[in-house]
Amino acid sequence: MNPSTRNLSKQRRAAKALRSNSAYHATGIAICLFFLAPFVITFLASFRHGTEARLPPLPPWPSSGISIDSYLSLDTFGAGIWQHTINSLLVSLATVVLTVAVSLLAGYGFSRYRFPLKNVLFVLIIATLMIPFQSILTPLFIILAKLGLNNSLLGLTLVYVTLQLPFSVFMMRNAFDAVPKEIEEAARIDGARDLRLLVRVLLPLVLPGVATVAIFAFLNAWNEFLAALILLSSNDKYTLPVLMMAVRAGRLGAVNWGAVQAGVAVMTVPCLIVFLLLQRYYMRGLMAGAVK
Amino acid sequence: MSDTGVVLTDIRKSFGSLEVIHGIDLTIAEGSFVVFVGPSGCGKSTLLRMIAGLEEVTDGEIEIKGRNVTDLDPSDRGIAMVFQSYALYPHMSVRDNLAFGLKMAHTEPAEIEARVRAASAILKIDPLLERRPGQLSGGQRQRVAIGRAIVRKPDVFLFDEPLSNLDAELRVSMRIEIARLHRELGNTMIYVTHDQTEAMTLADVIVVLRDGRIEQTGSPREIYENPANMFVAGFIGSPRMNLLNAQWLGNGKVAIGQTEMTIPVSGGGLKPGDKVSFGIRPEHLVVADNTDEGLDARVDFFEYLGGTQYLYCQLADGQPITAEHRGAEPIAAGSTVRLTSETGKRRLFDHEGRRLT
Repeated sequence: MNPSTRNLSKQRRAAKALRSNSAYHATGIAICLFFLAPFVITFLASFRHGTEARLPPLPPWPSSGISIDSYLSLDTFGAGIWQHTINSLLVSLATVVLTVAVSLLAGYGFSRYRFPLKNVLFVLIIATLMIPFQSILTPLFIILAKLGLNNSLLGLTLVYVTLQLPFSVFMMRNAFDAVPKEIEEAARIDGARDLRLLVRVLLPLVLPGVATVAIFAFLNAWNEFLAALILLSSNDKYTLPVLMMAVRAGRLGAVNWGAVQAGVAVMTVPCLIVFLLLQRYYMRGLMAGAVK
Repeated sequence: MSDTGVVLTDIRKSFGSLEVIHGIDLTIAEGSFVVFVGPSGCGKSTLLRMIAGLEEVTDGEIEIKGRNVTDLDPSDRGIAMVFQSYALYPHMSVRDNLAFGLKMAHTEPAEIEARVRAASAILKIDPLLERRPGQLSGGQRQRVAIGRAIVRKPDVFLFDEPLSNLDAELRVSMRIEIARLHRELGNTMIYVTHDQTEAMTLADVIVVLRDGRIEQTGSPREIYENPANMFVAGFIGSPRMNLLNAQWLGNGKVAIGQTEMTIPVSGGGLKPGDKVSFGIRPEHLVVADNTDEGLDARVDFFEYLGGTQYLYCQLADGQPITAEHRGAEPIAAGSTVRLTSETGKRRLFDHEGRRLT
């Protein structure tokens, strides 16, 4: 092959690579636009002027300057947007902490200890996933009332944790099953026992599982509507989804669409933050290199 | 009672109603290199894990350096263990992997640093200290695992098939490394393997186990040359010892098929006509045509290994026999050879597998 033909084929290869590369990126960008559009439209629309808020939604962006009118009017609903955001955050974060703590210990137990009826118990826990949650709302209401926890955020949190646990225990048991026994044994020989063993050695290894459990617990608690509506009865205890219901219902038949958009934005931001913080653990192949 | 080494007294282990270790008594001298060998499922790993404290002892006592450690935690026994799968902590750097045990024991940071340095110098892993296990090759990982054992300054090193995950070449060099380590450190080492070469080359003392019992304890030479029974004879040595069905004729003579062989044993309580097993290692068989006493065998096939060749043959009565042939002249498959050996290399076992002297 003489140099010029070699150059030619090199160019041809480069052109081909460029074509397939640009097709790849174009597809990626298209998919991104598709997924980002709702977020962008909501965020832009939430900054329209109060007068614009009642106009048809096109164009979605603020045409007469940026304003926070929508957020201010959102604040006039219920006990104020801050109160409800704090309620939601309290419930969701407490749900995450409790769910992770309980499922971590339960998953470890189910993965590592031998005890009678272990498998029966485990199947029983998983089986509760099949019970429609609506069907136990009334008993839950009565139980919470008996415990003096009706209309309290703690009561709601406990209900969320209970609903979240079957999946989380299952998830954590699988995560612990994937950790080779030898690592734990090596740690025992190194003198790590009980809690130190769990925190110093095993926790970093099951972190992807913990992240998954935490994301699911947070999103489910944050977005849950029905239980919150039924188990909470006073205005200042409502979580964001319940508030949004009131915003969406409007006042005297008039719906403030700007406030709705602002409410959606407020509800979306924490979910995005949680997901962006934890998503890298989804992909991390932490176990690589531990054992052959 | 001994104040050194490791002493096992009537160690038993049951899983539920199934007893897998049936009362093992063993004294391991301070500073010796002991290898447990046996077929898979013989209990060698379980025994090691009981010494480590990872497996509970159902009955019996374990003493390390004169201290009864039977009920102590693994970290309090003065042992360190190297696992087949390395079992490094994947989220820690090599340095932290080495230091973890010392940190758990609240050792002074300066002391930790000194010990990590010393261990990494011995194993030549200093350049790797900041890396994660995932960035190391198999051989390097096993070095780190050994390093983690060294920094603990244990009385006893325990190795659970540490080389099984390495490729053949690396296995040889790590084997030499471990032997060097034993020479330099002088600690007691207990090593579990199913690889005979590792057992023969590393051990001061080999313990052959079968079905949770010790079949024989002795130096590699003793085990090879004077196997206590047919199991040990067949297990140690590669290719394995030929064990031929034979009949005791009395007066130091046995019959293998129609062939009579002389064997220098008294025969003990044997009566002429009793069934016995005649043992002879392939490397002790010689192809010799001009001999009065020899086994005539037909060569089924042979393996040429350069320096030597193995002949896989059949006797007239169909019993298989393997012979090592060092002669230069090739022997074709299908030809008939006469195999003989020095009488002193021949072994005789009774029908229960016991060695007859």
